[in-house]
Amino acid sequence: MKKVSRILATAILALSLIALTGCGGGETANKEEAAKSTANESKVVNLYTDRHYDTDEALYKIFTEQTGIKVNVVKGKSDELIERLKREGKDTQADLLITADVGRLHKAKIDGLFQAVSSEILTNSVPENYRDPDNQWFGLTVRARVIAYAKDRVDPAKIAAYDDLTKPEWKGKILVRSSSNIYNQSLLASFIDINGEEKAKAWAKGVLANMARRPEGGDTDQMIAVAAGQGDLAITNTYYYGRLLASDNPEEKKVAESLGLIFPDQNGAGTHINISGIGLTKDAKNKETAIQFMEFLSSEKAQKQFSENNHEFPVNPKVEMSELLKSWGDFKTQNIKLAKLGELNSHAVKIYDEIGWR
Amino acid sequence: MIKECLVIRIRELKLNTNIWAMLSMVSILFITLPNLNILSNVFNEPNENWLHIKEFLLKEYVINTLIIVIFTGFFTVVIGTSLAWIISIYDFPLRSFLKWGLILPLAIPPYIAAYTYTGLINYTGLIQSTLRNKFNISVNQSYTDIMSIEGSIFIFTMFLFPYVYTITRAFIAKQSASLIETARVLGRSPLAIFWFVILPLSRAAIIGGTSLVILEVINDYGVVQYFGVTTFSTAIFKAWFSLSDVDTAIKLAGILMVIVFGILLLEKILRGGKKYSYTTTKVRPITRIKLSGLKSALAFGYSAIIFGLGFLIPSFQLIHWAIITYNKVFDAAFLQLMLNSLLTASVASALIITIALIIANYSRISHSIISKIIARLTVMGYSIPGAVIAIGVIVFFIAIDNNLFWLYKWVKEDSVKLVLSTSVFMLIFAYVIRFIGIGFNSVESGFEKVGKKFFEASRTLGMSVTQTFFKVDVGMIAPAILTGFILAFVDIMKELPLTLILRPFNFETLATKAYQYAVDELIQEASIPSLIIISISFISVYLFHRVADREEN
Repeated sequence: MKKVSRILATAILALSLIALTGCGGGETANKEEAAKSTANESKVVNLYTDRHYDTDEALYKIFTEQTGIKVNVVKGKSDELIERLKREGKDTQADLLITADVGRLHKAKIDGLFQAVSSEILTNSVPENYRDPDNQWFGLTVRARVIAYAKDRVDPAKIAAYDDLTKPEWKGKILVRSSSNIYNQSLLASFIDINGEEKAKAWAKGVLANMARRPEGGDTDQMIAVAAGQGDLAITNTYYYGRLLASDNPEEKKVAESLGLIFPDQNGAGTHINISGIGLTKDAKNKETAIQFMEFLSSEKAQKQFSENNHEFPVNPKVEMSELLKSWGDFKTQNIKLAKLGELNSHAVKIYDEIGWR
Repeated sequence: MIKECLVIRIRELKLNTNIWAMLSMVSILFITLPNLNILSNVFNEPNENWLHIKEFLLKEYVINTLIIVIFTGFFTVVIGTSLAWIISIYDFPLRSFLKWGLILPLAIPPYIAAYTYTGLINYTGLIQSTLRNKFNISVNQSYTDIMSIEGSIFIFTMFLFPYVYTITRAFIAKQSASLIETARVLGRSPLAIFWFVILPLSRAAIIGGTSLVILEVINDYGVVQYFGVTTFSTAIFKAWFSLSDVDTAIKLAGILMVIVFGILLLEKILRGGKKYSYTTTKVRPITRIKLSGLKSALAFGYSAIIFGLGFLIPSFQLIHWAIITYNKVFDAAFLQLMLNSLLTASVASALIITIALIIANYSRISHSIISKIIARLTVMGYSIPGAVIAIGVIVFFIAIDNNLFWLYKWVKEDSVKLVLSTSVFMLIFAYVIRFIGIGFNSVESGFEKVGKKFFEASRTLGMSVTQTFFKVDVGMIAPAILTGFILAFVDIMKELPLTLILRPFNFETLATKAYQYAVDELIQEASIPSLIIISISFISVYLFHRVADREEN
């Protein structure tokens, strides 16, 4: 017994030694890599992103094949990446930040993490309303927040506007996720901008009163609950519906097929949208390759992939949309400055908290 | 008299200032420094976001947290200790498998378990769709809704009880069999022995295990966020993510840290002198009672139900999904992910156990209050959400890089400034800070059981503290060391928040891969990385069990 334990103790000691030297090795490897990156500056681009899609990874690969530029990636949550960028300051190795919410892009801009990019290719492929007025960030994809309804029991003509969700006839019929979710926060922030704080609050109260259950789960869970009969209407982002329709689980496919989508406010302010987008960091070390990468992501080829594989709307108007997206037809979007969504985000959160939408 | 006292004082001083004390101080310094950054925020002026959270949210959040903590704590103690007892003293079918199999629920990250159970029992899940399509039975949806406070208690209990089970069982296994046998001879029933002998004796182990469970519950964000349950960690992340106020978030986390630390220290002081350790040098394994008939079926049934709920059922569901999504998700890159996960987890766990041994050995030898505080400080990193720890670690490493820049330049002329903070070293360091409490709790309960008699005997016989440590102590607490290693290893395999924030470029682990899909509501696609995490944990738990078993016999 003693022998075994001694072997054990030695093993652990040895392991920790390996650990120390191992880390030392990692360090030098890292240094070499860093050195390489300074030597052939044009050959890498370093990216922080909170988009976690396989589509994106496929695009990085295509970019590397096309240009020989390696894409180094750290994937994380947007607020955490922004915090890391802030703390790393001017020494950061990140050249680009991608977030899946315009509010975060705005925040990064306010925090002085971005710099302006002047690229004709970018300004040509990204329409003005999808980019920062100072060209510090550029939209890549558009997602709309819409209403999914049960085809067998809801007349879609009855819900033309987001405001219709507050009508008493939908009491106990509405399914929506928690207010801690950014998409719900942006939605309310857009109403604050368009209709003012009072009306936005009244809307949130009205929806809260009509909820079929306590907010729980994600957008997909809300759609499943409609199919299961727990309610009639679910608030969801468009691409979750697209994914449900393309699911490998036949039951989930059936759910999507039993639902229809309503793009609200077509006769009013327009359907709420948010974007995911990209910005060049203030102290980017690989500025040229970074801009090249941004241009690539806005190109028709990349934009087509976003639309085909991830069911997002491309920002580039020249791109032909996927069959599914085309089937939804053209729709009118809210005509507001997207940066407003970021500015008003905390107002929206506070309204949700005050009225008790968890 | 005075002279005698002086001699004792000098001897104590010597005991307190040896190499062990030095090493402990240095380790604890490194562990606490990044956290000090967090603590210093406790005194921030309250701003409007703070007031908003206090006015509208905090009361409900604290109440929810308390409900979940109390019930999860209670259920894990009941399940963990009863299983530890049954497995230790009875023989019944499959016992030798369940003995280590019951650790396995720890291998499944609770948030993955939450998604898995939801996916299993919801409308599109296997159960309901089979009932609906084959038997035309539709289920009332409110019965199958697991997304609630009760649901989170269930998830936490089923996937965290092994902390209590493992640490308590390791304790009972080496508990002098003579105590149990004496009680038997004196006519006590097994239940009475459990109640009056084992339970009081195992208090340290049970509390050690339960505090790990509670800490994990308090700093969880994955499960409660998905279920829409608001807890204290919701407040932290609401401040950070929704109100863009990272200072308030850190302030909240700092307060949480102080409270948790205070309670743990209080418990230790209250327990104070009550120590139970070996009474004899003859430590034999317990002779197990062979159960038959109904009793055997009961013991087996009970352990099997827990094993089923905590491991088999979610694993089968994940396998089912893996089969559906295999073509889409799996590729050769997974080999690299496995390697990354394995390497970081084993290196970090080895470091954790080494440091835990140093600190635990020091704190039991020294009588000073400092050593007791040092011991409690180890759980600091485990008491608040990992994302907040990560900020402290980044700040700490950037400071190191700033101070070492001359050295980097000396080594390599055109070196960049952020070297350590962009390497995997930072991540491993963060793992150590986060999980040292787990390794430490195991090792400490091992030392508490052994007591100091053997140590003192060895010292009297002329061995130094260090010689004694290697020749006597390590051998005696080997099962506890192993337990600590496995727990830390399995935990790091599934670790998420630290890895997400602190990883270097292009560094992906199995846990981050699983998260990538789960966060996108693609739980079926998340099944393959989850299953690989589970399999690696399965194999390592099994291997360590083999070694530990040989030790025990």
